[in-house]
Amino acid sequence: MSGATVTAGAVQVVGGIALAPLLPGLVQHWKARLQGRRGPTPLQPYRELRRLWGKSAVTIEGTTAVYRLAPALAAASIGVAILIVPVAARAPDWGVGHDALALAGVLALARFAVAVAAWDVANGFALMGASRDLSISVFVEATLVLALAVAALVTGTTALPEVIAGTAGAGVWSQPALALGAIAFALVVVAETGRQPVDNPDTHLELTMIHEGPLLEYAGRDLAYLQWAAAARHWLVLVIAAQVFLPHPHGVWWQLALLPVTLAALCGALALAETLVAKMRILLVPRLLAVGAFAALLGIAAWLAASP
Amino acid sequence: MTAVSGAEGYRERIGTALAGSWRFAGLHATAGGTAVRVLLAAPDGSTRLESVAAERATAPSIVDLVPAAAWDEREAHDLQGVAFAGHDPLRPLVDHDPDLGRWTVPVRGHDPYEVAVGPIHAGVIESGHFRFHVVGDRILHLDIRLFYKHRGLERAAEGATLEQGMAYVGRACAACTVANGVAYAHACEEALGLRPTAELRRARTILLELERIWSHLNDIAAVCAGVGLAAGNTRFAALTERARRLNAALTGHRFLFRTVAVAGSALALGPDELRAAREELTALREEAASGWRELAFNASFQDRLPEIGVVAAAAARRLGTTGPAARAAGVREDVRAASPRLAYDGFVAVVPERATGDVQARFEQRALELWQSFTLLDALLEHPLGPAVAERSDAERELGVGRVESPRGATSCVVERRGDRIERLRLRTGSYASWPAVAHAAADDLLPDFPLINKSFELCYACTDR
Repeated sequence: MSGATVTAGAVQVVGGIALAPLLPGLVQHWKARLQGRRGPTPLQPYRELRRLWGKSAVTIEGTTAVYRLAPALAAASIGVAILIVPVAARAPDWGVGHDALALAGVLALARFAVAVAAWDVANGFALMGASRDLSISVFVEATLVLALAVAALVTGTTALPEVIAGTAGAGVWSQPALALGAIAFALVVVAETGRQPVDNPDTHLELTMIHEGPLLEYAGRDLAYLQWAAAARHWLVLVIAAQVFLPHPHGVWWQLALLPVTLAALCGALALAETLVAKMRILLVPRLLAVGAFAALLGIAAWLAASP
Repeated sequence: MTAVSGAEGYRERIGTALAGSWRFAGLHATAGGTAVRVLLAAPDGSTRLESVAAERATAPSIVDLVPAAAWDEREAHDLQGVAFAGHDPLRPLVDHDPDLGRWTVPVRGHDPYEVAVGPIHAGVIESGHFRFHVVGDRILHLDIRLFYKHRGLERAAEGATLEQGMAYVGRACAACTVANGVAYAHACEEALGLRPTAELRRARTILLELERIWSHLNDIAAVCAGVGLAAGNTRFAALTERARRLNAALTGHRFLFRTVAVAGSALALGPDELRAAREELTALREEAASGWRELAFNASFQDRLPEIGVVAAAAARRLGTTGPAARAAGVREDVRAASPRLAYDGFVAVVPERATGDVQARFEQRALELWQSFTLLDALLEHPLGPAVAERSDAERELGVGRVESPRGATSCVVERRGDRIERLRLRTGSYASWPAVAHAAADDLLPDFPLINKSFELCYACTDR
């Protein structure tokens, strides 16, 4: 195993687990600045996690193991997803492969775990959030798979390291298919991270919640798992956006060097969008994601038309 | 001048008055529940009270004539023990019954379920319990239960002197302290046979419009928060605070507390203060106009507003909705248009071009009224203002009525006195009148849109609960 692979593997695991909370922290920090507030430091999510980790979890009368196991299962699924998603064109074999479609599967498993837990506690807000999340996820997952399919078709593989290598270079958008895939994936990023215009992570309005709803019944370590999982989702989709759909250099070292810059820029873009764009009507969210899916389909059509 | 009439033909007289141009403006039971009085108001600003004795603690209901009287009758039952013949079921309002079936409307079927929100909320929101009957995310019906913070202010004020009564009325609510105070002062002055001088009229009108400006700026910020538009929210929240600081500079209190008194005003504004205030108001107006333009061109924001939370003109009239919520539906009624006790000469109520009674119309109504208030204040603050008193004009009476347009609609105050003491005080605020419209507006809309619909009304809980 070369030094580049070892380093890439280290960044993948350490970054996915330990640096992920920094991403939503940065978004919140910059969002506050854009609104003219001082706001919390970007390290705030770590403080939250430390505080929650020191508290005991809550057992709710009448709930079953489904409720107790859901945070761990969600966090474990996201943990597997971190192993699947490489941060550069080379990655160690962690035993779970690097298949793009498997990623869609484990993300869905995490969502499923939280949704069934909502049914187990039968809290109105949890159920409301879970059912909205599930209805929207139909469109998110379709768009995610289609966007990844564009990248897979262009590079001829679904193995993410090869996809990253295949899309490297400054001319990534000279392929119309990839430019359209980038549009689709941008919407996936917004939906998967639960940010505006799809969801509002800052809201205290129970009736409008999507991702926050099922978390209402959790406390302590359970909530820490779930909040970490939400932060790690930022890591997963932003890393793919940076290394597949945005221009990235050839060469593993260059890719690793540029990654923090691209991630920070993407966090800035999320903060800017969340400041200027209102949350949209919930029934229009599928339409927005359908635009993404359509863009990805157009990308596939463009590739089919261009290929001999 | 308020005319008071007796018991015979109570329902008929009210029916005839309402068929004419009179509007229902409040109903209350007297102290001890021996009689029920209905306050009616005419577009020319005159008011009259129709009374009926509550024999064996029962009075005839008028809820079939005026659905808007439903809350008043329920309140009179809970607080003064008066039953209303013909009001069936007479659900509890202030007196909370743990039995859901006693206060919620039954919704039957296979699919509907209930979502209960509050009275404790995740944000800084006053206490109110909202019980939604929904299918999926669609609201079939909403039952609202308020009065969690009922302080019994009206009862506590009984026996106090008319002057002391202001302390109770002024603290009914922080957001409407001037409107409530002026309505009470008018009621007391009518009972005492006093009439405000031009200087006193101007002092109170300045205070009322200062209150409207910070309140409407705050409402615009709240609608932005309701859709998660952080930029608009912080911008208008900052302007709200600037307006409150102007209040503090002029009166010594950001919320204008203790600025209204019975039969006089201590507010004195010299030329330097006036110049600074007018400059600040001009700056505020320009900033607000620029913020408003940004909101007007924000498509994601504007997409959220139309066609939800609709209260059409007919429903607004039936439910007794007042203030911006009614005017947004095209009901061109504003107490300011006929307020001889205030300095609103030549005032004409505005309604939006697209007066559809939805969230967008209510939102635009706020801006229209804001520009109007800036213009009014600019003229009112032209000349220095000195302390003023009310002067004797009519004979003294046992009863007095005051009506004022608060930021949230018409506020009525009835004062019944014995000598110098309050025998019964009733404060019916614009918020109280408009709450039933919130439940009406929510029906048929989506659950996640409710916070936005609610914020487009932005009614007070405190002065409703009292």
